[in-house]
Amino acid sequence: MSDRGDVDLTGAKQNTGVWLVKVPKYLSQQWAKASGRGEVGKLRIGKNQGKAEVSFTLNEELTTIDSTSEKASLVRAPREHPFTMQTVGGQTLAVFTENSSDKIALEGVVVQRAECRPAASENYMKLKKLQIEESLKPHRFSQQLDKAVTTNYKPVANHAYNLDYEKKKKEEGKRARADKQQVLDMLFSAFEKHQFYNIKDLVDITKQPVIYLKEILRDIGIYNVKGTHKNTWELKPEYRHYQSEEKSD
Amino acid sequence: MTSLGNSSSSATEYVVRVPKNTSKRYSIMAFNAGDKVNCSTWTQARMERDMSNRRMYGEEETAEGAAGSEFGKKQREESRRKKFGIITKEFKVEDQPWILKVNGKAGKRFKGLKKGGVTENASYYIFTQCADGAFEAFPVHGWYNFTPQAKHRTLTAEEAEEEWGRRNKVVNHFSIMLQRRLREQEHGEEEEEGAGEKGGKKKKKKGGRGGDLRIHDLEDDLEMSTDESDSSGGEDGEGKSKSKKETNAKGKGKKKKKKKGSDQEGFEDSDDGDFEGLEVDYMSDESSSEEEEPEKAKPNKGDDVPKGIDEASESEEESEEENKNEEENKEEEEEEDGKKTPVQAEKKKKKDSSGESDTSEDSDIEGETASALFMAQKKRTPPKRGGRGSTGSSRTGSRPGTPSIDNAATSNTLRAAASKLEQGKRQATVPSSDTPAAKRLKMDPSSQSPSGKSTPQPASGKSTPSSSDVQLTEDAVRRYLIRKPMTTKDLLKKFQTKRTGLSSEQTVNVLAQILKKLNPERKNINDKMHFYLTE
Repeated sequence: MSDRGDVDLTGAKQNTGVWLVKVPKYLSQQWAKASGRGEVGKLRIGKNQGKAEVSFTLNEELTTIDSTSEKASLVRAPREHPFTMQTVGGQTLAVFTENSSDKIALEGVVVQRAECRPAASENYMKLKKLQIEESLKPHRFSQQLDKAVTTNYKPVANHAYNLDYEKKKKEEGKRARADKQQVLDMLFSAFEKHQFYNIKDLVDITKQPVIYLKEILRDIGIYNVKGTHKNTWELKPEYRHYQSEEKSD
Repeated sequence: MTSLGNSSSSATEYVVRVPKNTSKRYSIMAFNAGDKVNCSTWTQARMERDMSNRRMYGEEETAEGAAGSEFGKKQREESRRKKFGIITKEFKVEDQPWILKVNGKAGKRFKGLKKGGVTENASYYIFTQCADGAFEAFPVHGWYNFTPQAKHRTLTAEEAEEEWGRRNKVVNHFSIMLQRRLREQEHGEEEEEGAGEKGGKKKKKKGGRGGDLRIHDLEDDLEMSTDESDSSGGEDGEGKSKSKKETNAKGKGKKKKKKKGSDQEGFEDSDDGDFEGLEVDYMSDESSSEEEEPEKAKPNKGDDVPKGIDEASESEEESEEENKNEEENKEEEEEEDGKKTPVQAEKKKKKDSSGESDTSEDSDIEGETASALFMAQKKRTPPKRGGRGSTGSSRTGSRPGTPSIDNAATSNTLRAAASKLEQGKRQATVPSSDTPAAKRLKMDPSSQSPSGKSTPQPASGKSTPSSSDVQLTEDAVRRYLIRKPMTTKDLLKKFQTKRTGLSSEQTVNVLAQILKKLNPERKNINDKMHFYLTE
């Protein structure tokens, strides 16, 4: 357990610098489609009259967009993406990773922040248009049906469910009074599991007629009218031994 | 990596890879600029999820099975929730905050709260440069804002409010937390038993006015009792004095403030001039010291634990007051923890300084308006002084309306005989001078003066000349009995305690005497003894 919490500080000690780059959603989607070693494109860093220029070029094969709509095939993701560089500001941004085994390691500190912007091109505009159209579609809509739905709620002489129910009842028959001792045994074992029972549940468990059951219960139990466990039966105190899980008769 | 040479710009190209199968999930740990966190200085760190919110989500579990559980409770609860449409949010481990501990126990602690909405519209990637010069991009799964956690003690909300109320008066802010710490220590100690603790406690209490600040269940009773005893002139009922002591021992600023406040309010509210007379009686030093001695004696029996503190606090109070009087200059000294030592020294003197306490009584009152530095200490002691049945505050005539209750109640409460007689004498002399006058006005036609009746009775029977229509006089009784036969019960009903201003005991006594005098005839009606007169 102590291993879990420990943070591997090698990255912090080495002061590894990383870049934090904000990437548009469509681009990250395209990146997810990368094959092989995961090469997605090329990053060009240049100095143009004293200013650093960074730009990312998407690989050709990743420019195709798959989308459900038909128009998608016509649209291509833009390739050129200049990066806007920003400072980290006063903040200290550290990067940590979690293993599948929940081991935490500090990878490094962010030294540069950047935003990946698509170069404004025809392609990009078309892509955006497509996206907007998609998002404008309502998720729920009304649709007119040609034919009336007739597959449910047919009038039936007696529902299947009902028939089953009646059969089951017949099988079970009326509840017969069993031996008092047997019933008591059943009750005690039931009360061992839970302290409070509803009369209906007890009838279910013991399969006794209600009146008979109530008589027996009046002997050994009390009926809670008020309090949290309303309308429930519980054993009389002298019959209870909840701590040691024993019962006395 | 290819380099392109150009006239005005030089650029290098790097391949960017997005590895597919990393088992590692990247997250951002953001620190505030002001915290000046330098990760490279950390020698060791531990980070875990903060699971303290789990119980909010897992609903209270009533006992599972066996005692206390109901059959089918879970299902019933579930169906009930469905019926009402209550949707409880799941407890997601992913979203729980992190707790980061740097450099072990003595180091810093940070709490990292997840920032929402980071991955909704744009994705963040971490670009790391690899050995071969290519960049690898990893997506960021979560952003956590880490803030340092305070390790020093902080005040709770209630305490903070209390201190806010005293902000204009308290100058020595260091003492606030010190007292609190000492209070906590004391609490911990009280749980352990043993008289041996007393010594330890005394030691602890040295610097600590904190020892005085103990909460008792009897708080409400104590307030009342101290009020009563104040006005009645330091009644030394056993239980009362004991609790009184503890009230004093408490010295809780809040409570005493209330009292002080009530004192001030009472001053304006009590229009009843009678009670000033009462309180004036207790100006003499001897009386108060009298009270103090029995007080001290009594509390000596009883619990070790509270007693030890009481005694200790007693000495402390006295020594503090001496401090106040003599060492008002040593402000700086007092501010430091070094203040413990002067108090310590004084403490040794202790005990029979009841005389001192009285003399410093006046300085108390001055003290309240004196240097703010000692406010924290004084806050407890002066009101304590006042509150303690030495009737200090009552002497200043600032007690609220409670005395009116007392006058009637005192005779009911059978306390130490000595105090009763004392009190009876005083009260009999003072109010009875008033009552005859009032009575005479009302009962002009009556042949006998009621005051003649009242004086032989113990403890100011008719001390409160309340505006009652019914006076328990022989005449009144005679009238009733002539009109029709009555039982004693009926007669008592006629002379209700509220209207005659007498207690029920007094009424009974007076009525009995009257009946003896009148000697009415007796008749048994419905098995009950009725009295009647024929004239």
